[in-house]
Amino acid sequence: MGENNKFIDKFSNAAMRVGGQIHLKALRDTFATIMPLYILAGVAVLINNVVLPLIFKGDMLANVQYWGTVLTNGTLNISGLMVAPIVAYMLSQSKRFENPLAAAIISLSSLIVMMPNVLEVTPLNAENPVEVSGVLAFGNIGTTGLFAGIFIGLITTELFIRASHVEKLQIKLGDNIPPAVGKSFNVLIPVIIVMAFWGLISTVLYVVFGTNLVALISTFIQEPLRRVNTSLFGVLFLYSLGNLLFTLGIHQTVIYGTLLEPLLIANINENMIAYANHQAIPHIMNVAFVPTFGMIGGSGCTLALLIVTFFFSKNKASKSIAKLGIAPGLFNINEPVIFGYPIVYNLALMIPFVLVPAIGIAIGYAATVIGFMDPCVVYIPWTTPPLISAYLATAGDWKAVVVQLIIIVIGVLIYLPFVKVNDKIAEKQMAEGEFEE
Amino acid sequence: MKKILLVCNAGMSTSMLVQKMKAAAKEMGVEAEIDAKSVTEAANEADKVDILLLGPQVGYQKAEMKKVSGGRIPVEVINMRDYGTMNGKKVLQFALDKMEA
Repeated sequence: MGENNKFIDKFSNAAMRVGGQIHLKALRDTFATIMPLYILAGVAVLINNVVLPLIFKGDMLANVQYWGTVLTNGTLNISGLMVAPIVAYMLSQSKRFENPLAAAIISLSSLIVMMPNVLEVTPLNAENPVEVSGVLAFGNIGTTGLFAGIFIGLITTELFIRASHVEKLQIKLGDNIPPAVGKSFNVLIPVIIVMAFWGLISTVLYVVFGTNLVALISTFIQEPLRRVNTSLFGVLFLYSLGNLLFTLGIHQTVIYGTLLEPLLIANINENMIAYANHQAIPHIMNVAFVPTFGMIGGSGCTLALLIVTFFFSKNKASKSIAKLGIAPGLFNINEPVIFGYPIVYNLALMIPFVLVPAIGIAIGYAATVIGFMDPCVVYIPWTTPPLISAYLATAGDWKAVVVQLIIIVIGVLIYLPFVKVNDKIAEKQMAEGEFEE
Repeated sequence: MKKILLVCNAGMSTSMLVQKMKAAAKEMGVEAEIDAKSVTEAANEADKVDILLLGPQVGYQKAEMKKVSGGRIPVEVINMRDYGTMNGKKVLQFALDKMEA
């Protein structure tokens, strides 16, 4: 494995550098922070469309559903708006910038500066759109504005931090002024410079090109990226790459958290809104679908591995790790299994670890496309136990549970020969007195 | 009182190791405050602890965590095998050795 080792080392090092990159990290941290809000949105959509209709009817139903609607407004519909200050704050913290709050506020302002001043909206119960100004549209500050929010948040923070550290631009008021006041005056000039800069760009975009930044980013970056990355093959490739990284000891979030998750979140958001409005569900591939069918028991669908180990393995060490791993595994936490079995750097288990999730995702996708099971419309926490996850994610489709069970069975069948191989190798190593460290 | 902070992606898998380490500490008669946090939260807690122990799956954050802690405290990656088998005793001993050095 000499040559392979060198390649693996290079690959791991490259992945580590990508993982440590502060802008990507800020991105991952931002989505980790917002996650509870999206999950709340999922619960609200679930209750609004599955629970409430069981209890209320007609006008009364429409009235109580206002609850879910406003919760959706406060979460999904302002996604883009929220990420700008959060990513700015996270990046500032990583860079040890002394005024992360200022960076956050400036980023939020800058995002609004880039929003179109005049919008086309269609009034309720009307046919044709009218032009209005003085409003922000959910269409721009929601999921469509996600990448614009990230882009502006990151760039504004970089510009702002650099400008703030230029001595000549600092206004020092002396020691008798309260710190909060002194702080805001200190950065007054950088604030003016950064915002005037964005204002200039916004103006040029509107006057010369008749467009705005949100539309540009959404059309030329977010949409193409989303289409490619969240296509069936895009997900299979990227998700498997992430799982491969995990087998090398690096958490798959390095790839998943940056290249897939934000886009998959955009997809589930659109699904949730469509579901709430009784429209066709646009995206099979989303952030609830992938873990539900590709991460059963944790990355690599290790629930199947645990089942095989309990029933078919003769290796004592494996069985004790499996016992240790079953409790957290029920909540899809499986690092003990990944590092303890171990799956890392263990070729025999690396193969099914990458293969089974890919097959699971493909099966789930096929089952949805042929109409056997409903698409996932609820953003459930990734720690939701198997079987429950399929039921909740699809807003109550029991057929999804059947699909999940099928995937678990197939997973067991695939892991079985590899576990046997692993057992044999372990046996040989014990016999030859070789102990892996 | 030694303050040990374990770090992993979400703070969940390391929390199990924390329980095992606490039990080992009791057995060894060592006074230690042991906790588990996500990478993001750990960055904020770095100035309150005596050592940062990274789960192997977030080992790529070592350089960043070292920067965050300003070189004041040891930042180490937990051995894969010890982490996987949740060997509280070994990891605790590792931490104590590194804090001595």
